[in-house]
Amino acid sequence: MVIVKLGIIFLLAISFFWLFVFGPFYDQLAVQLIVLLAVMGWNTIRFSFRETISLLKFCLPFVFTLFIFGLIFHFTRLLGREDWLQDTFIKCSVFPSSLIFLKILLTYITYLDILNLPISMKKRVDLITMKSAFQKGGKILRRFSWYLNTYSYLKYDNRLKYALMKYACLIIALYLYLYEEIENSNRLLKNRYQHFYEVNK
Amino acid sequence: MEIKPGRYTLEDRNLNFEVINEFQFRNRNECFYLRGGNGFGKTSFLEKIIIPALKTNNIDYLYIGQDIRTQLYTLRALLSILGHKVFNADEFDILKLWIKHSQSAKFFILDEFDKYYSDYGFIFDWSNKFIETYIIVTHLGYNQMEASIANYQSSNVRFEQINFDGRVKNIRIKKE
Repeated sequence: MVIVKLGIIFLLAISFFWLFVFGPFYDQLAVQLIVLLAVMGWNTIRFSFRETISLLKFCLPFVFTLFIFGLIFHFTRLLGREDWLQDTFIKCSVFPSSLIFLKILLTYITYLDILNLPISMKKRVDLITMKSAFQKGGKILRRFSWYLNTYSYLKYDNRLKYALMKYACLIIALYLYLYEEIENSNRLLKNRYQHFYEVNK
Repeated sequence: MEIKPGRYTLEDRNLNFEVINEFQFRNRNECFYLRGGNGFGKTSFLEKIIIPALKTNNIDYLYIGQDIRTQLYTLRALLSILGHKVFNADEFDILKLWIKHSQSAKFFILDEFDKYYSDYGFIFDWSNKFIETYIIVTHLGYNQMEASIANYQSSNVRFEQINFDGRVKNIRIKKE
């Protein structure tokens, strides 16, 4: 049963990427905007409006960077192309929608599903660790952002510079957190499994 | 900066605060000790009322939250992005570096810092040259810390639960 469920999730992910990221609907801006709205709606129903806004905020610096580069390419007519602006708008829409879509899809995979997978215990432990760390990472982002807003050391008169520095800090903090969290959780899980295994033996 | 007496409602936390006295934060060298039972909203009062008031008044401050382990990730990221070598630094070094580079701050808010360091006189040693007001949440009674910042005029702020209807807590905040 679990194989069927994971198979469907995998198929949905592949279909999404095939249709909207690499496939026939990629260059249709209207479709991309509808898809973005739809995944935002789905995320709001599954989690909350606040969660959706915080996800969009997380995407903002990446989207903004894409946009700036798109503008530069457009005005410099890079490679002689005339469609940089259109392409940039599409990318600015595809990036958040595919991220949100994948994130929602992955939340349908539960710990029990992983435990029921016909793979070795070591791989299960690794998957559980990854899931747990990323789940915690998503939740902790808001707190990181809150703390960063309290630091006068990060203050700049230039709002853009401040926002970029803040997001850079946010990403590094998240990376450090995930790195440590994955290592700790993995060690704990392995230790428990080892102990459990030895006791049963 | 001041927190006026009156009722403050935090709907998302199911808390109503009844602030009895006016809180004037304008004298130099003051130290406020916030005390009260667990779940009486001391942290919420700091994060939802005091800190927004500081921001509104454009006053720089330092805040060490209860979840210091979480906060340290952001401090490590902040310091490394600003060019400091913090790869092998322990939390003590990180705090010191952060405080050293935050000398525009006038307020220092510590939320149950004594949970991590029973003797945290070092925080005052690092910061009392520029900090005018300390706001400290603690569960401890009068202790050595209060003695160690004796040149600051200290006030006790008591959080008391008036009633709890199973959902919303009504808390009285009174300066003693």
